[in-house]
Amino acid sequence: MCRILVIDDEEAVRSAVKRRLERDGYGVDTAETQEQGIEAIGTHKPPYDVVVTDMVMESPTSGLEVLQAALSSDIFTELIVLTAYGNVGNAVECMKRGAFDYVEKNIPGVDVFELLSLKVQQALERRKVSLATLRKIEHFTSAK
Amino acid sequence: MEPKLSNIDLHNESTLVDAIGRLVISGESINDILQKILEQSVTVCSGVRGFLAIVDHDRGELDVRYTFGEGWSEEKRLGRLKVSEETGRGITSHVAATSRPYNAPNVRLDPYYIRSFDDVKSELAVPLVDGYGRTRGVINLQSVHLDGFGEECERFVQALAKLGAIAMVVADHRSRETALVQIGKELTGFTDSEAIPQKVLDVTAEALSFEDCSLFLVDRSSGKLILRASRGPLKEMIGKAAYDIGEGLTGWIAQNKQSIRVHNPSSDSRWRGLHQELPNIEDGAFMGVPILGRSGLLGVLRVQRRRSPYNWFRNDFTEDEERILATIAGQLAVALENARLVDQLVKTERLAAWGEMSARSAHMIGNRVFAIKGDINEIEYILGTSESDPADAWKLLESVKNGIFLLEEILNEFREFVKATQIELVEADINSLIKEAVEESFPKRSGSVLRLNLQGDLPHVCADPTKLKRSFSELLENAISFQPDGGEVVITTSMANAENKSWLKSPSDSKEYVTLSFQDSGPGVKTEDKPKIFNPFFTSRAKGMGLGLSIVKGIIDAHDGAIYENGIPGAGAKFTILLPCVCEGPRRKQVNTEE
Repeated sequence: MCRILVIDDEEAVRSAVKRRLERDGYGVDTAETQEQGIEAIGTHKPPYDVVVTDMVMESPTSGLEVLQAALSSDIFTELIVLTAYGNVGNAVECMKRGAFDYVEKNIPGVDVFELLSLKVQQALERRKVSLATLRKIEHFTSAK
Repeated sequence: MEPKLSNIDLHNESTLVDAIGRLVISGESINDILQKILEQSVTVCSGVRGFLAIVDHDRGELDVRYTFGEGWSEEKRLGRLKVSEETGRGITSHVAATSRPYNAPNVRLDPYYIRSFDDVKSELAVPLVDGYGRTRGVINLQSVHLDGFGEECERFVQALAKLGAIAMVVADHRSRETALVQIGKELTGFTDSEAIPQKVLDVTAEALSFEDCSLFLVDRSSGKLILRASRGPLKEMIGKAAYDIGEGLTGWIAQNKQSIRVHNPSSDSRWRGLHQELPNIEDGAFMGVPILGRSGLLGVLRVQRRRSPYNWFRNDFTEDEERILATIAGQLAVALENARLVDQLVKTERLAAWGEMSARSAHMIGNRVFAIKGDINEIEYILGTSESDPADAWKLLESVKNGIFLLEEILNEFREFVKATQIELVEADINSLIKEAVEESFPKRSGSVLRLNLQGDLPHVCADPTKLKRSFSELLENAISFQPDGGEVVITTSMANAENKSWLKSPSDSKEYVTLSFQDSGPGVKTEDKPKIFNPFFTSRAKGMGLGLSIVKGIIDAHDGAIYENGIPGAGAKFTILLPCVCEGPRRKQVNTEE
């Protein structure tokens, strides 16, 4: 089963996202702060497949710090950043540094939970492809 | 023994004149000095009586202020004389007009003499002339003998008159110095830029007895000099009368940043005569100084003096007066700049608060809406699957409802934050307001015990009752929420003491304030949190956005009061509020929140 970590400082947000992703059949853990999230990323075995994190928590760059922790724990962990409507600057910065995508929490007229579910699915596929490629390379280099 | 001319060595002026000189230096009151000068003059010169009249420059009159000797009736004591050079208008008037002593050995034959006392045979009048050559007063001595005042006597009285004039100048300087210090005091800590100009003019006029005085300030949007305060007929033109920079004498001062001091301003080529305090200023005197701040020209302070109807009297402004006006302008500049800085600071603070406010509320509202959308997404899913339990959907609906309540709570706080500064003031009894607030919001079944410690005979305060009750309720709720296991809440009212008043933005000894405090026995406010508790969004409670105390502060500030927290950390919080007692009539006060 795929493991997902959701980090957000609002209980209502955490529980709604967790519930939606669990419906898709994933195992979902939650963390309330950037610090807790980074700790969970560092200790969870095997590493989380996808991390969904709020961009702004203790600091406006909380998402970037979570990204750094996730990539240093497992280079193929996919990260999706949740961001406030109209405030995508830092989220784009995350993508430049290797995050999978960002989802704006409040897009008018859009069911963001379906969008998020879709993005998580896509992120998992990319991770699967990446891991498969890695295995092929490993196989190729060890056979040599 | 009374000193007589015969037993004083007048060539060695070390006796009486010296003694009077010492009086002048020692700062004796001007009235005492002049009275003593008159008395000594009459006594030493063996006169029957005498008087000392002070020149009233505005009216061109002599005011008999000091008298000595025989025969003075109340009516004669209050006499006023017209200053006049002409014959037949009185010796004193003549002396005042010419600034030269005059000895009339036989008054019957004298062309200037007017009869006032029947027994007078001869008269001596000596002027008190100041450093600018102006006659400040006249000593008049009368004798019942022909040729009663000899040359030696005249010299002696002249010496005393010189001292008298010096004493008057010194007294003027002293009173101006006091006035300048007073202006300085008035302006320090005066942060209401609207009220400063009029305040300055009032004190200036009092200090310097200018006839009329106007203050023009540079209007930053139009670049013109606009009349901001005046004491004369121009008062009606405040906000309307304007000069371009460079226009007229006032505009010239602004353009060149230099002062002007002219007699007969209408003969000056720069004169335009646009806005005049005095109708006949054409031939009067004009003096104006630029008000220069660190940021450049702030305005022009100018004074005008009426044309003197008397040829003998020069009423132009002196260098001394120019220095005084420049000093006032300097103090005014500092005060104006301070006030502008405070204004800017308030605006910037407000702007920053608004920026943060919008960002925070957008974030909070966004998150709530996001969660509600999550619930709805789930409801849709449940309703779309056949084997689902409708009870789950009901639970989710409940959650949606709560989410919407939370949103409304945020909106409510937002609205109150905005409206905190819009108040309508009336006179109200503070103790009744507290009782009403307690009645409305202190929970009947609470673990906390309420104790009211209200002083009975307090004056009314200037209050917006609804807003004040709202802030009292907030403080009560706060107190109760921090002691969930019960405790005590004490509300105390009394008159404010000096320590309380020191928390005011501009403390004033003369204004009365009522103070009320809310004290609880909860954990109190940590020392490091004290400076932050009134900031918007600072909260240690889960409810709302953390605007509660900032709303309370907004309300109290709008009352021109103060609020501070001075409890002991660990031993309970204590919020103290100061409210002014004097209401300048019921008024509506509104802070423009769009700015």
